[in-house]
Amino acid sequence: MPQLGITVTEGTLIAWRRQPGDLVARDEAICDVSSDKVDTEIPAPAAGRILELLIEVGTTVDAGTVIATMEEEESALRAPSPGAVAVGGEDGPAARAPREAPRGDAERHSPVVMRLAAELGVALETVAGSGRDGRVRREDVLAAAQGSTTASGAALYVPPAAGRLSRMRQTIGEHVKRSLRESATVTSWIEVDFSAVEARRRALGVTALPVVAAATVATLAEFGELNAWLDGDAYTVHHDVNLGIAVSLGADGLIVPVVRAAQALDVEGLAAAIADLAGRARAGSLSPDEVRDGTFTITNPGQFGTFMATPVLNQPQVAILDIEAIVRRPVVVTEGGAETIAIRPVCVLGLSWDHRALDGAYAAHFLGALRERLQGVG
Amino acid sequence: MSELTYLEAISDALRVALREDDRVLLLGEDIGAFGGAFKVTAGLQQEFGADRVFDTPISEEAIVGGAVGAAIVGMRPVCEMQFADFVACAFDQLVNVAGKLHWRAGLAAPIVVRLPCGGGVSGGPYHSQNPEAWFMHAPGLKVFAPSSAYDAKGLLLAAIADPNPVIFLEHKYLYRRVRGEVPPGAYTTPQSANTVRDGDDLVVIAYGAMVHAALAAAEAIDEAGVRVLDLRTLVPLDERAILDAVRDCAKVVVVDEANYTCAAGAQVASLIAQYGYGDLDGPVVRVATPDAPIPFAPSLERAALPGVERIRDACRELLAY
Repeated sequence: MPQLGITVTEGTLIAWRRQPGDLVARDEAICDVSSDKVDTEIPAPAAGRILELLIEVGTTVDAGTVIATMEEEESALRAPSPGAVAVGGEDGPAARAPREAPRGDAERHSPVVMRLAAELGVALETVAGSGRDGRVRREDVLAAAQGSTTASGAALYVPPAAGRLSRMRQTIGEHVKRSLRESATVTSWIEVDFSAVEARRRALGVTALPVVAAATVATLAEFGELNAWLDGDAYTVHHDVNLGIAVSLGADGLIVPVVRAAQALDVEGLAAAIADLAGRARAGSLSPDEVRDGTFTITNPGQFGTFMATPVLNQPQVAILDIEAIVRRPVVVTEGGAETIAIRPVCVLGLSWDHRALDGAYAAHFLGALRERLQGVG
Repeated sequence: MSELTYLEAISDALRVALREDDRVLLLGEDIGAFGGAFKVTAGLQQEFGADRVFDTPISEEAIVGGAVGAAIVGMRPVCEMQFADFVACAFDQLVNVAGKLHWRAGLAAPIVVRLPCGGGVSGGPYHSQNPEAWFMHAPGLKVFAPSSAYDAKGLLLAAIADPNPVIFLEHKYLYRRVRGEVPPGAYTTPQSANTVRDGDDLVVIAYGAMVHAALAAAEAIDEAGVRVLDLRTLVPLDERAILDAVRDCAKVVVVDEANYTCAAGAQVASLIAQYGYGDLDGPVVRVATPDAPIPFAPSLERAALPGVERIRDACRELLAY
């Protein structure tokens, strides 16, 4: 089917003027074709014999479609012959058109369409093109972006390609999922007046963490069932408090080095041990023994100002203490039998515990005792 | 402010320049007593004298060569070619002498050469050409091509004031067909493009008489917003305005009345292809006169020149792409 004009892309066969076997001269009319505007005779591209008519009258086909085959003159005298040429195909008059208007193409996109799609987060394969032959036009991309825009004005988000989690993140993920699956994790919170803790840590020149850690270790001596492992049915209460301290490694993850026999250390000793372990954790120079055998863990994210969390148990331990931000708050204090409102540094301590190993009263009792100790440190 | 034709606006610019600047003089064939082939200089010799409005022999090379000499000694000559086509005879003086004088000898050549150009008036192959691209290709020359009466006066005064040699294309078809408000006295039009019709779906870039054809074509298209950018000056070419229009509209039709190959519009299309690529939502479409001499026969001339219908159809075709 020849292209009947620069903008005409298809033609409809009206009539065949020659039949298979007929001899035709070059440029002799073979058939009549109608475009949406005009009817045209289609000339033979060469002299020869018509071999086959491939489409029926009334059929509409795209320009370039082969509608008939013929063999050229010389070979027509010695049929059969390999010299068949296609009528109306690549060798037909269409191929001689000097200039052709650019074609639309649904699969290929113009520069501005690709740029806008990237800027606006439009997935082009989801856009119905309104241009020629289904081509996606600039206005289609803009309309798609408009349509997918949420009330907040954000365009549809197209995420970047997924990567793989690091080995450390995979390990952490497996651990916390197993912990949540195995344990019956419950979290209890208590609010503690940190006036004494603040005074103590200033006196010693340390952070609040070793002060709280020392008080926790001392309190665990009275609440040994929290300094324990539960692995399946196997329940182990420890004499030593091997105190795990969660250390963030930023985006890489989290590691929990262990201060062994923490009950043997005072506040300053704990401060030194924690600083040493945390520093080497961040430097990546901990030995495998230094992250094993923890019996109780403290996590300390409060430095960023959060006030409550539900920590995941560090298996097979049955409890973890969470220290949140120390915030100055108005609190009711009783002095000489009279209640007044005072400004005090207050911290929320959270204890996640395993309901399989113990009950809420025990955990609450521990938190109350820890508060008494922290409010009385001196 | 009074309403003048495009031709009257050019005459007015010459009169203002002759009055305000003693260095200005006019040179041309029959521009004195006869008033010029198109009567642009009618009355000026009577008003300013034969030593300032100067009839020359029939030698375009002598006109431009003499003007270059006058410019070197401090005058501001304005030359008239009877028809733009005849400037070919002065090509050497313009391209090899005037355009290179500053670079070769450090001398300014502030001359203006007025070219009554363009077709549509059944002038045939020697009286219808648009030779702007010849001079765009020659470094050292400026090329102006106003489309309105206002810009014709403002750009001619800007050309006379400019220290460079300026080719000034005044379109014969517009001489008496286009009119508009023109302020009295001196003013200059910036050497930059001008948006003469707003729209965001497609921009037609044109200059000279084709601006009016583009405007008529744009008016005929109700279904989309068609912008028309009038280049006004081809050297300097307002590249920023062209690329801004492409960024806004994403589809471009560039129109030349000149022959297709290497026309001013080819330079515009090339600029867009290189620097506006990321903004395009379709091919840069050009509409121009085929690479053939302009026929005498009105019917054939109409078929050759890019008329309103061809521009409109090109716009519709591209809008549908």
